[in-house]
Amino acid sequence: MAKVTLCSDWLDICSGCEMSLLDIDERIVELIKHVQILSTPVTDLKHPPKEGVDVGILTGAVSNDHQLKVAQMIRERAKLLIALGDCAVFGGICTMRNFFDTEEVLRRAYVETESTAPGQEVPRSCEIAKLFPQVRAVNQVVNVDLHIPGCPPPADAIWYAITELLAGRIPVLTDDLLTYD
Amino acid sequence: MANVNVTIDEKAGAVPGGITVLEAARLLGVDIPTLCDHPAIAPIGACRICLVEVENQRVLQPACTFPVSEGMTVHTESPKVLDARRFVLQLLFSERNHYCMFCQMSGSCELQNLAYRYGLNHWIFDRPFPRLPVDASRDFFAMDHNRCILCRRCIRACDQLVGNGTLGLKHRGASTMVIADMDVPFGESSCVSCGTCLQVCPTGTLMDRASAYMGATKEITRVTSTCNLCSIGCGVELVVRGNRVIRVEGDWDTEPNKGLICEIGRFHLLFDKRARMRQPLVKALGTTGQDGLVAASWDEALDKVAAELAAAGAKACTVVSGYASSETAAAACQLPGDKMLMEPAANGASPACLDALDEADVVIVAGSDLAENHQVAGFAIKRGVRHRGARLLLLAKGKNGLDDWAYHKWAPDQADKAVAIAREAQAPVIVYTADNEALAAQLGAALPDAKRVYLPAGGNTLGLAAANIAAFQANDATAYYVVAGEAKEIPPDLRVALEKARFVAVQASFREPWEGLADVLLPSPLLFEKTGSVTNAEGRTVQIVAAVKTSLKAEDQVVKELIARTHR
Repeated sequence: MAKVTLCSDWLDICSGCEMSLLDIDERIVELIKHVQILSTPVTDLKHPPKEGVDVGILTGAVSNDHQLKVAQMIRERAKLLIALGDCAVFGGICTMRNFFDTEEVLRRAYVETESTAPGQEVPRSCEIAKLFPQVRAVNQVVNVDLHIPGCPPPADAIWYAITELLAGRIPVLTDDLLTYD
Repeated sequence: MANVNVTIDEKAGAVPGGITVLEAARLLGVDIPTLCDHPAIAPIGACRICLVEVENQRVLQPACTFPVSEGMTVHTESPKVLDARRFVLQLLFSERNHYCMFCQMSGSCELQNLAYRYGLNHWIFDRPFPRLPVDASRDFFAMDHNRCILCRRCIRACDQLVGNGTLGLKHRGASTMVIADMDVPFGESSCVSCGTCLQVCPTGTLMDRASAYMGATKEITRVTSTCNLCSIGCGVELVVRGNRVIRVEGDWDTEPNKGLICEIGRFHLLFDKRARMRQPLVKALGTTGQDGLVAASWDEALDKVAAELAAAGAKACTVVSGYASSETAAAACQLPGDKMLMEPAANGASPACLDALDEADVVIVAGSDLAENHQVAGFAIKRGVRHRGARLLLLAKGKNGLDDWAYHKWAPDQADKAVAIAREAQAPVIVYTADNEALAAQLGAALPDAKRVYLPAGGNTLGLAAANIAAFQANDATAYYVVAGEAKEIPPDLRVALEKARFVAVQASFREPWEGLADVLLPSPLLFEKTGSVTNAEGRTVQIVAAVKTSLKAEDQVVKELIARTHR
């Protein structure tokens, strides 16, 4: 049987969810017998093929216009989209900046932090993505088929979700696999 | 009221008429989830989590307030109910800023538990991210409004259980906020930091500085014990992790406090900044130790104390604080010389029944400030004033913590004015401490039907009195042995006596306030570290149970070893 194709990408992240995915440890040997991992931010190929993949995983919240495009691209190219981690599912820690004006946030980050040398400016290059006023969860910008919350989600939850999907079932997270922290 | 027959989730039974569906469900063994409900507080149907399907009702009804009726059939987990419950949870989570990943309540949060129970794994509504404050103006605990679900348990507890009524609400709808007094910072309000609101808060809104992030429900153990910091002897639950007490809670199931404790019992030991006594200290001449005190072995220290006490013979004197257990008191009786109480005690006062305060229509407080000591008794009086129309007559000079609840306040020499009012009362009560014994006697003579509530100073004062340890009297003792426990202050009489004495040894939990006075300091376990019995103000013997293990010698053990050496 043809392997299930999978890709992942990250938005406003800390990469904790990627670390948690890798925490499936030696189970990855079993995984790659059934799943072909086409592209991830931590492997050679960074983008899924235009023909699309079966499963797309997004981590992180949608904070700037570039991340919105990434989310839309993955949604388009994945038959089933998984939002992995509290930031992708709820907006997570990233939403802390929703209480402040983006200019306040940029000034704090680039000018005012205690360890920043004086005389710095907020970078304004047109190549840098623009912050949205509010950070959003992935399901606020595209349709999401499966949510796996957690900060990060336990490796067991990720493993369970993938193996349930491979068995043709919709995973339902309960007990220790469902966590918001 | 006559029983009615109800059926809840296929469980049929007869339940008392007039109770709520929630109470009936509990009687029949059906679990209906709740958030704003609390067994000690009257229900208000605020959170809507307990909505259930009642046959023949047009809409779902909140089980916590809906009364049962004959033949009622209730479904508590039907598809309609589950939909509604998930909807309510979605609304609760969407309204404010609920971040489990950095909340100290994660793992112990009633809101989170419900979300897990109903399998919520994403939010369906956009969130407004209101900018809400954190009030950290109180010494021991803070309030983060971002996590508040407006269940009003804190407001109701402060009003109904403590009688303080500090908390309330401002604005309406999504702008509703819990406030203190007329919207002042909690630390500047009429709040007495009893922490009852903290104890009943279902979410991480109210958090105490000692136990935050120190362990969630699955990681902690609870030990039932008794507080011995005053003579009321409130039942407490000590929350322990890794051999440390991280939090003290009132035990809802014990008398006389029924779940309430005061700021002192809840916080003072956890936040005490004094240096703990960990090993014996002996004053040595010409040394560089602090106050001349240097570490010594137990043998050295005990031998020295024993020798001094034995040599002083009849001129030795043992002073025992109410912080000591009855077992320690019994042992201390075998030391040479006189035995005395550290705290003042009244003569011939009989144990009080604190329930009298919950039935009284007039309470005369003779002199004491019940917002300083014996606060839980003060709560009972405040409840009576706020909810039963009880009248508080304060006979005190100067500012008193219960001034705002007093019907009248007079100086103690105008007791006859209080008597005139109390004479007309159905259930008058006189509350007094040892310092006001004479005034209380005067009142008691004028009001023979009044119940008398004597609140001994110190924790186990009645237990010590039962061991025939008499009130402190200045004498010509030359060697003193003080079993001080956690005592913070030295009574002026005792201080004078200790300064005059030739030799002073103290068995204490903390170095302060004994450093300048003691020739020998012996470490004593803290309240949380010892097991023993105490007799509370109601005359009942209750147990202090050690919640943590310590390598320190047990409190009575130190005394026993001392006695063994004095008899050599």
